[in-house]
Amino acid sequence: MRSRITRHLGSVLPELLTVPPTAPGGILGGPATPGTLTPIPTDPGPDAGTTGVGTTEAGSDGTADRVPVLPPEFNWRDYTVMLLHIAAEIEHSLMVQYLFAAYSLGGPDVPDRLRAQVRRWQEIILGIAKEEMGHFLTVQNLLTALGAPINLDREDYPWGTEFYPFPFTLRRLTPASLATYICAESPPGWSGDEATAIRRLAGVEAGQEVNQVGALYRRLVAVLGDRELVPDSDFQAATLPFQADWDEWGRGYTRGERGRDSGNVPELEAPELLILGVHSRDSALSALRQIGEQGEALDDLKDDGQDETSHFRRFLTIYQEMIAEPEDDRDKISRRLADNPRTSHRLRDDAARFATPAVAGTAHTGTDLTAHRKHISREITDPAALRWGHLFNLRYRMLLVSIAHAFRLSGPLDHAGALTARGILIHRAFGEMYNLRAIAGALVRLPVSDQGPSGQGQSGQSRSGSLRAGPPFEMPYTLDLPEPDRNRWLLQRDLVQASQLAVRDLRDVLPAADSGVPYLVAVADTDRRALELIERVLAGRGPCHA
Amino acid sequence: MTILELRILPPLAVGRLGAATEPMDNYEVTVDPEQPLAARRIRPARTFVVDPDIGGISSDAVPSAVRFTVGGKVRPVAPFLEVWALTDTEGMLEPLTTALLAEHGLTPRDVRWSVEVANHKIHRRTGEERDRIDAVVPAFSDHDVHRLEGTCPNFWAGRTLPLGTVRYLRPTEGFPGIRLRFTPAAGLVYGSSAQDPQLPQEAPDPNLAGILYNANLGGWLGHFDREGDPSLTVPANIYRGWDDDGRWRSSGYLDDECDGLVHVELRLAGRADPLRAYARIGAGPPAYAPDSFPVRTVADELDQAMFGPEATDIEAGLEGRAQAEEIIRRALESVRLMNTAVMNGNTVNGRTDVASTMVRQDTADTGRRFEPVMAPSLVDNAALLHLHRSILTGLRSGTAPWFADVLRNHNEIGDLSAKGRRKMPALMRGADGRALALTRRQVDLIRKVARRDVFAAESSGP
Repeated sequence: MRSRITRHLGSVLPELLTVPPTAPGGILGGPATPGTLTPIPTDPGPDAGTTGVGTTEAGSDGTADRVPVLPPEFNWRDYTVMLLHIAAEIEHSLMVQYLFAAYSLGGPDVPDRLRAQVRRWQEIILGIAKEEMGHFLTVQNLLTALGAPINLDREDYPWGTEFYPFPFTLRRLTPASLATYICAESPPGWSGDEATAIRRLAGVEAGQEVNQVGALYRRLVAVLGDRELVPDSDFQAATLPFQADWDEWGRGYTRGERGRDSGNVPELEAPELLILGVHSRDSALSALRQIGEQGEALDDLKDDGQDETSHFRRFLTIYQEMIAEPEDDRDKISRRLADNPRTSHRLRDDAARFATPAVAGTAHTGTDLTAHRKHISREITDPAALRWGHLFNLRYRMLLVSIAHAFRLSGPLDHAGALTARGILIHRAFGEMYNLRAIAGALVRLPVSDQGPSGQGQSGQSRSGSLRAGPPFEMPYTLDLPEPDRNRWLLQRDLVQASQLAVRDLRDVLPAADSGVPYLVAVADTDRRALELIERVLAGRGPCHA
Repeated sequence: MTILELRILPPLAVGRLGAATEPMDNYEVTVDPEQPLAARRIRPARTFVVDPDIGGISSDAVPSAVRFTVGGKVRPVAPFLEVWALTDTEGMLEPLTTALLAEHGLTPRDVRWSVEVANHKIHRRTGEERDRIDAVVPAFSDHDVHRLEGTCPNFWAGRTLPLGTVRYLRPTEGFPGIRLRFTPAAGLVYGSSAQDPQLPQEAPDPNLAGILYNANLGGWLGHFDREGDPSLTVPANIYRGWDDDGRWRSSGYLDDECDGLVHVELRLAGRADPLRAYARIGAGPPAYAPDSFPVRTVADELDQAMFGPEATDIEAGLEGRAQAEEIIRRALESVRLMNTAVMNGNTVNGRTDVASTMVRQDTADTGRRFEPVMAPSLVDNAALLHLHRSILTGLRSGTAPWFADVLRNHNEIGDLSAKGRRKMPALMRGADGRALALTRRQVDLIRKVARRDVFAAESSGP
């Protein structure tokens, strides 16, 4: 999480912790480490808030009904916006980690008897990632409804979240990586032998609490539910046409209930995409509750475990199915991808200085906020993989820019309204999602290194053969969009032209018979046509122009 | 070598109407490997040139260019039907030629053809037997042009509907095969009248090439589909007509399309019964988008009829990816030809419900609220083309087709929920009047491919 946000987390997290403020070993209870956030007392005390409102405990987890305390430098509306920014970054990061894990599944080593199962797991995790996309968009809607800028940003991997006791890391799917997802999505009060084992595998120390993004949403509910803190006038219903709409983003997925059959895998329910418009306090609260519950689904702990509605329950089921398999087979279900693959060496990468072998499940404790930095990232040096990686990053940027751009344009107020280019941008965003999936498919099959078999310190080390690259998901230098709209289309043009160069560069190193060439030819063709469309918009000749 | 059986290949030949005297040249439709998202390329291909005087093939060549019209008239697609023989030599099919005939002591004159075609469109609506239009060419062995003259009891005396011609091509030294050529009709529209067409007509209808149907004998002129009639097509009223206080009355038009059978017969010495074979022919309208194909074609229907609604894993492995790409390509081509904003039910230039669409049909048939199928902002044609190109691009990477879950199942065509209406293929109807679905076999193939591609081997890198 970016430092400008993390400096406020010290004020925010104590409020969200489910442990009593005095409990030892909390996430901020460890010693300060140079270069990291200095913990602040978990008791906000008289200096922490300016409202004079005290903290009271109520509810099962101690957060739902706790009276919020306003941190320094904020008023309530702005504080709400900052919490939403944190939520957006976490949803974004969860989504990308899940995508990486899902893309890692498969490969020629998967035993025949497990292939249907592995394909099913992949579809489940992709479905969860899609639902995180829905959360991500709904959080943007909440921001938009409050008149705040949207936030599509996040830190590159690996990064210590300060929110979780384990770093956010791009890792192939293993029981250990799965354990961190389960913990991240776990509901308050999750306990028992299985919980203890999974938490240990995720690197959570005994007695240490794990925050949930659900807690963040509950805090937002507490703030937004209070008219004294956020008045009705702060909700701008007129922004609705600018918000993401299920009808535009939901595609064939279900709304309100999970589908009976995803089509890709028999007997598997389709994801439920919650893309909720916000126009009032009630709609804001409803949206927050729904997306909070889809992650951890409190009711899941009360049922017989057969209803796989929550992310937590779905991950847990995969985990249970996975560890029922022989240990050797567990290691074969996913390709041996490098952790946190990246396209270039970072000059100021702490990871390089602190680099030590990071064995999943052993490297981190919640009391050491820099421990995550030991989780090294891996530079892609294979010439083809590196260029695929650059192309991946570029198309990832194009996806984010298209989403951001779509939020700047209104949808139709009714069926008779004149259309903007919003539909074009939404389709472009989906097109880039398909590209990311395609390029990831190439990256997971290519070696990460040009030095032959390697993998020291990486989780795939134990098996023969070289480590593979994976989708790097590196963030662009900026996500700011220029004004006015014409300049945004110039940016779109820049990115397409950059893609043309990247494709050309990649084709230069690929043999003519490489299986990736037909795809690159098609990308070049798509880009050429996209440029024509953008030029039409720039010239004011399209149905919708800048 | 002994001939055991005969076949006519192809067993189903679809001609296309055209008024030009020169039939359409042969051509291929291919994908440009360097522009895989562009429209398919149309390239001239080897074409038989028939000498009209001798009635045989005089040469074959690849034309320099593909031209669909000559002098402003459409060139008809006139298929060749070839006779093949199953012989006792390893049970192989081989072309029936003058040489093979000679081996059996026969000449081309011993081959006997007969043809029967029909246009039952009026009969389909009125239910009257006397409204059938049939044409028969009895057995012939000559090489003359035989006209397919459609006759109908309800036509004016002496009037027939020209449905094209057939000709048994004279085998030549260079082209010794036994072939028949079907040349469809011109693509004209004819009319009905209660007034003798030989008399001067008041304000003759400029759409019509002539009056054939006697409205005093039959009820086609002024016919209307009766609500509740179980034999009606869905939708009904699909004929040229006028609104008569809520009744859609027929203008009495008829066209010159047809379909039917071509029979061939050969009597061998020593066999009691002659060898026989037959093929089906038909004539449809010209291909005005010859570089495009619909998402579901007759070939897909035949594929399913022959091989069943489920593809085997082997088939999915061999052809699945290419099939998935082909379907998306056809979807792209369909979008290119559609006014997607109108077909989605968008308000266009301030007007609602501007055309016959699935939206109107859903409302008319079921009372569903008139509501665009997709979000109106999403159906800008250029944007949709981009989306489909992106999907096609993704598929070419070898990525498993991830979109199987948005395909409409055959048993979901009446699903009027928002999700159901938005499934693919979208905005189009099938022959049953409800939302179009791919064949079960097409869907099954894509789904099987989607489940198998994640286990591909790894690359070693360049």
